[in-house]
Amino acid sequence: MRKEYKEYDFDRMVQSIIHFASLAYDGTRKEAFGMFRYAPRFREAIETILMTGEPGVLLLKMIDKYLIEVLTAHERGKKIALCTFNFSPGVLKPLDVVPVCLEPVTTLGVMMWLRGLGEYLNYCCEIGFTETSCSAQRGALGAYLAGLGVKPDFVLCNSIGVCDTNATAFSFAAEYLGLPFYQLNAPPTLADDRAREYHRQDFRGLISFVEEQTGRKLDVECLREVIVETDRQDEIMCEIEDLMRLVPSPVPGIFNVFMYSAKYIYGGSKEATDVMSSMLKVARRNAAQARAGTTSGSEDARAFAVYVDHYSAQLRPWAWFDSKNISHLGCMMNGFWPVHAPYAEGELMDGTYRMDPSNEDTMIDSLADQMSRMPMVKQIRGPYDDPHQWLSDTMASIKTYKPDFCMYTGTIGCRNTWGAIKILARDTENLGIPTLILFGDAFDHRITSWESMRDRIDEFITVRGILK
Amino acid sequence: MLKDFLEVGKTLGNRFVRQWKEEGRQVVGFTCSYVPEEIIHAGGMLPFRMRGIGATSTSIADTYFGPVICSFPKCILQLAGEGKYDFLDGVILTPGCDSIRRVDECWRKAAEDTHGTFPPFRHYYGVPHKVTDYSLAWFVEETRKLIENLERHFNITITADDLRRAIGEYNRGRMLLTKLDGLRSRKKVPITGADATAVIIAANAMPRGIYNRLLEDFLDEMGRNRDGIKGRKRLLLAGSANDDVDLVRLIESSGGVMVADTLCFGSRSYMDLVEEDGDPVVAIARRYLSHKLCPRMFGAYRQRLAFMKERIRQAKVDGVILQNIRFCDMHGSENSLYERDLEALGVPCLKIEREYGPLVEEGRIKMRVDAFMESLPA
Repeated sequence: MRKEYKEYDFDRMVQSIIHFASLAYDGTRKEAFGMFRYAPRFREAIETILMTGEPGVLLLKMIDKYLIEVLTAHERGKKIALCTFNFSPGVLKPLDVVPVCLEPVTTLGVMMWLRGLGEYLNYCCEIGFTETSCSAQRGALGAYLAGLGVKPDFVLCNSIGVCDTNATAFSFAAEYLGLPFYQLNAPPTLADDRAREYHRQDFRGLISFVEEQTGRKLDVECLREVIVETDRQDEIMCEIEDLMRLVPSPVPGIFNVFMYSAKYIYGGSKEATDVMSSMLKVARRNAAQARAGTTSGSEDARAFAVYVDHYSAQLRPWAWFDSKNISHLGCMMNGFWPVHAPYAEGELMDGTYRMDPSNEDTMIDSLADQMSRMPMVKQIRGPYDDPHQWLSDTMASIKTYKPDFCMYTGTIGCRNTWGAIKILARDTENLGIPTLILFGDAFDHRITSWESMRDRIDEFITVRGILK
Repeated sequence: MLKDFLEVGKTLGNRFVRQWKEEGRQVVGFTCSYVPEEIIHAGGMLPFRMRGIGATSTSIADTYFGPVICSFPKCILQLAGEGKYDFLDGVILTPGCDSIRRVDECWRKAAEDTHGTFPPFRHYYGVPHKVTDYSLAWFVEETRKLIENLERHFNITITADDLRRAIGEYNRGRMLLTKLDGLRSRKKVPITGADATAVIIAANAMPRGIYNRLLEDFLDEMGRNRDGIKGRKRLLLAGSANDDVDLVRLIESSGGVMVADTLCFGSRSYMDLVEEDGDPVVAIARRYLSHKLCPRMFGAYRQRLAFMKERIRQAKVDGVILQNIRFCDMHGSENSLYERDLEALGVPCLKIEREYGPLVEEGRIKMRVDAFMESLPA
C-alpha cells in the first residue's frame, strides 16, 4: 500500500466526507450546490444523493451518525463486531455492540471516492487473499487489516453455506487479526422445519457468543423496540416495493441504494425508519401525480438487476439510468422477504418472515428467520432452481415489477452466481425478458470501467429494441 | 500392482469400473470427499469420486459455467458433457464449495441440451459447514435421507449390518493408506510421490474390496524392500483438489520427492476412522462432519494447521508446496496463512496458483518449483 494511504484512517476519511456532505443541505439549495464546485472528487455521488431532497439528506445524516458511532464505540465502552452485510444490525443493539458492516462501508468508499478503493483491495492481496476474492469485502477490509480503522473485537459472519469467498474474507480476517469468530451457517434448504430449527439454534448460538464477548446479557426491552421498529420498516419497505409495481414506477432508482444502506446499517433502529418514511413520502407524491421517479418524471423502460447493482463510479450508473428515463427497479439485495412483500405470493409465502414481539423466544426466532432470509442468504444457498432459491425469487421479482430487461453484475469473487448465471439468464430470456450478463465488478471499477459497462447496456437496450 | 493403481489413477473409466458394469452393477458418482462412500458400498454399488482427468478442453463447460469458475468442476462438466460419465447410474452432489456445487445445475442443463446424459439418480447432500450438536443432528438426518433415496431409487435395502461391514472395509482401507504414509516417511522413500498419488486416488475409483487386497500386497512388497529414494528434498503438497498424477510427477522432476500431502484426493480422504460401535449412520455422519480438514469448514484453520504440522513432522518434510487452482479462494487465502505460520516455524513454503487439467502451465510451474528447490537449505 502506498505510504500516503497510511496517513489517515479509512473510516475517519469516509465519515468526514459524509459529515460535510450531510451539512451541505442545512443551508440553502444555492449554497449547497455552490459548494460542490469545491469538492470535485465527491461531487457526482453527493449530488446524485442530494438531488432526491429530504431522503438524501436524511440518508447522509444517518450514515454520518453511524460512522461516528463506529469511530467512538471503544471510547464509549462498546464492543465492535465486524459483520457481513446481510446481517440484521438490530440484533446487536440489545447486546450493546456496534457493527462494522463491511460491505456497506466498502460501498460508501467506492461510491464516494473517484479513485475507488484499489489500494485497500490490493492490500488484502498483499497479505494473502487471492486476487479473485470478493471485492465487496476486500475494499474496506483492506483498511481494517492494515490497521487503518477501528479495531474490531470479534467477527460475525452470515454468509457461510451461501458464498465461500465472502465467508473466507471473514474467517481470514479473524485469523489474521486474532479475533474470535462466529459463523451462521445456511443449510441448502430454507422453508422446511429442519432448516428453520437449524437457523434458530444457530442464531441462539450467536447471541450466546456475543454475550460471552461483551459480558452483557441481551436487553429484552431493547430487543422489543428493535422488533417493533423492524416491523414498521418492513411495512414501509413493502409499500415502496408495492409502488414500484406501478407503471411508471414512482420510486427513484437511487432509492434502492438508500434502502440497502438504511436496512444494512440501521435495520431495527429509528434512524433507518426516518429515511424510509421520507422515501415513501416522495414515492407516494410521485404516484399521486402519475409521475415516474426519474428526474424527468417519465419512464421509457424498466430494469431489474438479478443479483447486485454496480456501486462504484460515484453512483454514475444511477445517474445514467435516470438520464435515460429507465426506472431502476432494484436488485436481489433489496428483497428482504417480510410477510407483506408484494413478491411473496402463494407457495413463496413459506419463504417469508414475520416479526413477533410476544415474548423473548418469539422475538429471537423472528430475528433468526429474518437473518436466514437476508439477500443471498435466502436464495443462493441451494440449487438455483430449488424452491425459494435464485430462480424462483428472480421470477417473482419479474412478475411483480414487470421489467423490460434484466441485468447481471456481480464481483469477480461471486462463484456462487457466476456458476449459474448463464442458465438463469436462459430461463429469463425464455420468459421473454432480455437479460444482459455484464462482466465487471460491482466494487472495483478497474476490472471493467463503468463507461465500458454503460456502453454495453446502451447497445443491448438498443439492439433488443427496449429503448426506442 | 502399481500398474493397476497407475491405470486407475491416470484414467477415468478404468477396467475395474468396466468389469463392474459388465456384471450389471451400478456405479454412483460423487463430487466431494464429504460424501460417505460407505453408504454407496453398503448398497452393493460402486462409489466413484468424479474427476476431471483427461479433459482436453472446456468448451462445453464454458457454455454453462461463468468465466470465473475453478477449472476442476469445469473439467468434470466437460467430461460429463462429452458422455464420459455415462457409466454413472447416479450422482451425489454437495455444497463442497461454490464452484463444485454448481456442477449440479450446469450438468442438468447440459444434459437437456444433449451434451451427454445426466444420471437417473440425483441426490443433493447438504453437508453443514460447522460442527455443533444441531449441525450433527442435521447431518445424521441428511444421511438417513440419502440412504432412503438410494434404497427407493435402486430398489435395495441398506441395513445396519451392511453399513457396519462397509465401515469395516473402508476403515481397513484407511489404515492401509496410513501404513503407506508410514513407509513414505522412511529415510529411503520407497515410492515416488506421483506413484503414491495414483495409489491413493485409486481408492475412490475401484471396488474397495479389490483395492484393499491389492494395497495390502503392495504394502507388503514395499515393506520388504529396504531400498528407496534418498538424498532428495522431501516435499509436502497442500491446497486445492489434485487428482493429477502428472502434476506431482512434474513437481518431482525438479529433484524433490513428495512424501506427504494434505489434499482431499490424498491424505484428507483417509484420516480419521469411522467408529465401529453404535448406530452406524450416526458414526458415519460424525466422522465425515467432524473432518474439518477442508477450508469449507470455516473457523477451523488452527486444527488444519496442526494437522499440517503433524504431517510435516511425521514425514520429515523439507519444504511445502501450497497450491490452489485459480478461483479457489478458500485454499488460496488459507495458503497464505499457512505460509505465514509455517515459515515462522522455519518450514520453507512455495505458494503457487495454477489451472486444473492438462498441464498447459508446465513451464511456469516447473520454473517456480525449480527455484523453490534451489532455495531449500542443503
